[in-house]
Formats: sequence, structure tokens, C-alpha cells
Amino acid sequence: MIYLDHHATTPVDARVLEAMLPFFTEKFGNASSRTHRFGWEANEAVERARKQVASLMGASAREVVFTSGATEATHLAIAGGTAVAPAGRRHIVTVATEHKAVLDPCRQLAASGWTVTELPVAPTGLVDVDAVARAITPGTALVSVMLANNEIGVLQPVADIARLAHAQGALMHTDAVQALGKVAVDVATLGVDLASFSAHKLYGPKGVGALYVKRGVEKQLGAPVRGGGQERGLRGGTLNVPGIVGFGAACEVAGHEMQVEAHRVSALRDRLWQLLQERVGGVTMNGAESPRLPGNLNVGFAGVEGESLLVGLTDVAASSGAACTSAEPSHVLVALGLDKTGALASLRLGLGRWTTAEEIDRAAAHLADVVAHLRRSAPATRLAAAGASR
Amino acid sequence: MYSAAVLERVRNPRRVGEFPEGREDVGTGQSGTLDEGTTARIQVRAEAGRIVEARFKVFGCSAAIAAAGLVAEWLEGATVEEGRRLTPERVVAALTLPAERAHVARVAVDAAHRALDDVTEKAGRRP
Repeated sequence: MIYLDHHATTPVDARVLEAMLPFFTEKFGNASSRTHRFGWEANEAVERARKQVASLMGASAREVVFTSGATEATHLAIAGGTAVAPAGRRHIVTVATEHKAVLDPCRQLAASGWTVTELPVAPTGLVDVDAVARAITPGTALVSVMLANNEIGVLQPVADIARLAHAQGALMHTDAVQALGKVAVDVATLGVDLASFSAHKLYGPKGVGALYVKRGVEKQLGAPVRGGGQERGLRGGTLNVPGIVGFGAACEVAGHEMQVEAHRVSALRDRLWQLLQERVGGVTMNGAESPRLPGNLNVGFAGVEGESLLVGLTDVAASSGAACTSAEPSHVLVALGLDKTGALASLRLGLGRWTTAEEIDRAAAHLADVVAHLRRSAPATRLAAAGASR
Repeated sequence: MYSAAVLERVRNPRRVGEFPEGREDVGTGQSGTLDEGTTARIQVRAEAGRIVEARFKVFGCSAAIAAAGLVAEWLEGATVEEGRRLTPERVVAALTLPAERAHVARVAVDAAHRALDDVTEKAGRRP
């Protein structure tokens, strides 16, 4: 089975695992224990990891708040960033293609009286900066726009949007989960106040993430998870020391290897796209070709039904908007303007650190077989309606 | 998750294809719409009241592909009357289809019944 679902999760790098292991056993201390060496050792490891994570995103260590993952980090940004907003600011601006980790808390706020603007995107997947400028008002408390989309990989103009948010006195948050370790992320250049990250998207462990909180912005954040006062009072709870150590190690590795890896992975992605065009035909790339994450390809296959495409794929692990039980199309692809059938007949192919050229060739051949086979089974009217070339 | 019976029919479908519609010994039945997400077309070739060959084309989920394939498989060798006794419930049971996919069995069976009606009508017209 060829794993092409690296946006969902990545395997833990052996170097990361090695760094983590002692913190499950002999170095098991609670990082908050101040009275003995077990605690000191755990605390030192956490602080070392905090520096490693901060370094990859261009932050200082004290600006990193560890959480249980990116969903919690995003919750801290949105629920926390709105909890203590001034009375006159009850408005959030976000984008229709955001991850549910952003959209759901925003909708929850909408249900309690907040106004939420979900901006549309162009067929490229990019939000119109002028539309963002028109949407942000002096009543806006928070703007949340993701850096790299988790389905179509396109990179939003976050730095431009952050300037617009700040001009109106709003906080700027970005979900940078898919970007960290794949493309250069520098929170200062982006100009954001808050940014969410997750370890398991960059070959670290699951169950650990972080929120970047720009120095001074912590005064504008409420803390949804209280108790224990950890993370400067912003996130209570015993720290996941092995996970945090793994996150740090993953960032360290990514910092050294990202540039070379991005070049290699994007070349493989381009090869896959080329092969799919040649061997499958009737394919469209969903979202802009550039700027896009190096390992991302989101492809629509004309003339096939999405769920049967996924079931037919026996040798490639990929994902699509098609959930086998609900058959609800991806909200991201629908936002690009795809109809339900087109959105369901799309695959997200995510390449990663250990994807090889040989795997790409085999994946393309397998996809060509499965699609040809489904198209042969389909009535001619369906193929004509979809405009399939083969 | 689908049963092995569904997965096998999706990954190795048999009897996919079509006969020329104009032939007097061929009946064609179509059911479902693209808007609903499933459309099936079943064709049967009959000789003296018995179906000697069946073919299908389908656009839909895995369950729909498997249901159309199973119906075509059952039709081959059956008499037209036996074919008419086919029910969606039998297809659902044979493929262990999840409840939310049961409607695709009806689409496949409706297409089969229409194909049988068509071939019967053509036979009636023959001198």
C-alpha cells in the first residue's frame, strides 16, 4: 500500500521516536515538579523543545504555548481571543475553506450572538484580499485565515491580511498546521498574533500541538482550559513531556531538511500530476497550481463516482471529500465552485518524506487502472456529462 | 465497511457492457438519475423466454456497482418470469448492504424489471 495521505498524518521519524523514548520510562517526571531531579529533567526537556519549536516558526520560546494538538490550539486562539474582547467587538472574519477546527468554534460563537463573516474563495482557493479589507471593521475582534489549506494545499496571503486586521485593531490568527516543516514559516514576517501548529503533521507524535502567542497578546487571551497554571496560565494541565520532546525533535529535523525535502517532494508531485494527465486523462487540479504546498495534489476525475473510486483503490492510501457513510462533499471543494459530483470524485494526494519516485509511478498506474475500469462501467451519458476524454 | 461480496464485485466486475439496443432479442432497462447519484442500465438477451446473457452499466457508489453486477449475474440463465421475482431485499441480503445504501438495490432491480418488460414486449411484437 502506497501512503499518499500525508496531510492526514505522517509517520513518526525514527530520530523523533528515539528522542521521545526516555521520557516514557526513566525520565518520566512531571515538568511542573520543582522539588526533585525528575521534575527538573522533564522541565529542561520541555524548555529545550520549546526553543526548537519556536526556532522553526521564527518565534521566541516564551511565545510558544503547548497544547494537546492543533484543534485545542485553535480553540485557545478563537475561544480565548474572543473571551476578553472589548464589548464593541463582536465580529469574526474567516474563510469558507478553513478547517472545521476554525469554522466550528466560529459557528458556536455565531450561535451565541457574534457575527461571523465566512468569506468565499476564488476557484483557485485563494481569498480576495480586497474582500477581506471590506469585511474587517472596527467591530472585528478576530480574523482567522489559514496559511496552507489541508485539502488543496494553497497558501493564503496571510501577511497582507494580518496588516488589514491590525489596521482595524483586530487580532490575527492563522492555522499554520499544514505549512510548518513543509514551507518556511516565520511568524514575524506573517505578522500574526496567534498561530496553530501540530506535531503529527511533520513526522512528530499525535496528541501535541502549540499555539504561537505573540508577546503581549497573552493579555488579550482568555484561557478555556484552566487548572494548574501551566503554560503561563494559558493552558492548564500536566504537560505531555514525551510528546513535546518529540515535537521539538521533529521541528529540529524539519529545520535542517525542509528545503531539500520541499524541492524533492514537489518534483515528485509534479511527476505524479504529469503521469495522471497522460495516463488517466479527464483530470483537473483543484485549486491554484501555485502557491501550493510541495507535497499536495488534489485531483478531480471526470466520469467516476468518488466513493467507488476510493473503494476501488486497493494499493494507494489517499482521501477525498467522500465519506463512505454520509457521501457529503468536501466543503473546501464546494467553496471552489465544484458541484457535489465533482467534489466527491476528487482525491487528495499527499506526498511525504519517504515517498519515492517508484511509488509515484506505481500509484499513477494503479489510479489509471481503477479510473479506466470505473469509466468502462459507467453509462455513456455519464461520461459525456462529465466531459471525460477517455 | 462493505462486505467481501461488494468489494469483490467492485474490484473485479463481470458482465459490464452493452448490447445493441435495436436488436429484437435484447431488452434494455434504465433506472435512477444522475441527480440522485445512482443510475443503472441493465440489458438482457433472451431466447424462448430464458435470459441467455445480461450486461450492465452503472454510475454510483460501490454498493450500486455490486448491486447491478449481482442482478446481471442472477438474470443469466433465469427465465423472464424468474427474473421478475427478483426483489431489492434479496440483493440487500446477498450483499449485506448497509441500510443507507439499500436504495441502490432498488435502482438495480428496477432497471432489471424494465429490461425484462422491454424484451417481453419485443417478443410479443414478433410474428
